[in-house]
Amino acid sequence: MAILISFDIDGTMEIGDPPGPVTLKMVKAARAKGIITGSCSDRPMSAQRAIWEEYGIEYDFVCYKHLLSDLKNQFEVGEYFHVGDRDDLDRKYAIRAGFGFFWPAEAAENPLLL
Amino acid sequence: MATGYAPPSMYRSQEGMGIWEHRGKVAAVGVGHSPTERRWDERPETSVGAWSIMALRNAIADAGVSPDQVDGLVIVPATTTGAFWPKDKPLPQDVINSFVQTDDPLDGIAKLSVEWLLKNMPELTNINYSVYAPVCMSNALNVAAQAVGDGLAHTVLVLKAWHNLEGRYYQGGQNAQESIAGTSAMTSLWGAPACYGTALQFAEYCRKYGKDHDMMTPFIINSRRNGLMFPEGYWAQHRPEELTAEDYQLARWIAKPANLFDNDIPIMCAASYLFTTAERAKDMKQKPVYILNHADSDAVPRGLTPTLEEVEAECALTGRKIYEGAGITVDDLSFENMYDGFTQFHQFHIEGLGYRGIELGEALDFYQTDISIEGPNPVSPSGGNIGSGRSRFWMHTDSIQQLQGRAGGRQITGVNAEIGVSGGPMPLGGNYTVWSATPD
Repeated sequence: MAILISFDIDGTMEIGDPPGPVTLKMVKAARAKGIITGSCSDRPMSAQRAIWEEYGIEYDFVCYKHLLSDLKNQFEVGEYFHVGDRDDLDRKYAIRAGFGFFWPAEAAENPLLL
Repeated sequence: MATGYAPPSMYRSQEGMGIWEHRGKVAAVGVGHSPTERRWDERPETSVGAWSIMALRNAIADAGVSPDQVDGLVIVPATTTGAFWPKDKPLPQDVINSFVQTDDPLDGIAKLSVEWLLKNMPELTNINYSVYAPVCMSNALNVAAQAVGDGLAHTVLVLKAWHNLEGRYYQGGQNAQESIAGTSAMTSLWGAPACYGTALQFAEYCRKYGKDHDMMTPFIINSRRNGLMFPEGYWAQHRPEELTAEDYQLARWIAKPANLFDNDIPIMCAASYLFTTAERAKDMKQKPVYILNHADSDAVPRGLTPTLEEVEAECALTGRKIYEGAGITVDDLSFENMYDGFTQFHQFHIEGLGYRGIELGEALDFYQTDISIEGPNPVSPSGGNIGSGRSRFWMHTDSIQQLQGRAGGRQITGVNAEIGVSGGPMPLGGNYTVWSATPD
């Protein structure tokens, strides 16, 4: 069953400001498992695309975190997860959209990313 | 030498005061900036104190004077609007010990005093006038211009600096207390985001004039574009990201109809300008930029949040004061650099000025025309806070640089840079400066 994981950037990924524990290597590992990946951040969507392209990592989507529910309509998969560091934004919007949610440190130890 | 706040008599708050008595007799010459950062990394060399010293020294060098020629200092002691040192966090003693201290251990870390600066800038040996200005560089510029004009000092450094700490903005200070004092008990009671009042005014503006939030898009794109050509700014230095219409229009609401990109990003930075008499300026390193007037808005709203009508009336009054004291008309303005952090201040300010003939309710239509630095109607060539982060001083640096012909990639080309106006922040409660390439 296909899986989709969306990553917040700042406070979540190693390239964020502030940096978080989720590495680009972990994203690549997830993609190697066939997981659909991309970012849902407050950063401009054009900037999110530029980040993935700068680091040479393919991505399936970029969006704003408050639009997670729209993302769900775009991809029919078995499980949806969002990784983020803010309770009042990432976790709230993930729950509202029916996504599973991981804090960055939890995600960094999850077999899906290893 | 005890330093106090500038007295009300230094401000030009009333209509009908006539042409400023020092029109064209005071000039800005030097500009000095520190680098920018999103947050402090808690090293001594990147503290707000260290960066203030850097900005001051850069302004001195830029003007081509020696430190002992400086005899005045005008600074804003507050260095944040929303990042306060947590009460339970240990003081950064290694940073404190890296500087000559005052009685306040957070001096130079989360605030600034003249005493701290003078203790740590021994080269400033001839300061005999110093004064504090509240809140913003805009205010400090008014005070410095008046001080030089009145002969209180002849060569004045003006300084505004900002710190930002780890963690979230606006979550500390009084917002973290069990109780809240003064009128904030009413205005902040429900924890509304800082932009909500402006958003309310903008919502009413859109309803009244039949406009919508998406019409702000060209202003946002233009501001970020200009900011990315501001090498001193945050976005140019750290995240050179343009904004697209999609980026802006889909962003989440902070206080509808103000979204994430209608708000400015808090950063660390410092800037200083060197003001002097027009006579002394002639012998300095950079082309003088003459001050034709300064104006102050000290209006008090009737309620907790100013109404649209109050905002429009006050901005119109401010515009009249600006022109009256400068002895100019709106047709003399080459450009405007009015405040933008929140973006939805800007249309109020430029409608108050009647910039390029626009009237109430027309600014957003004006944004749909060519407002670029290459066109005949440049809007916010600095890019403002939206283009370079929360400093409330990019508009002043840009105005000076435009008139000196050293704004680099931001130099306006669709019109000759001869007279500009900058200032803010609030429509009710702001300070404005009229700058000119010539003294008359």
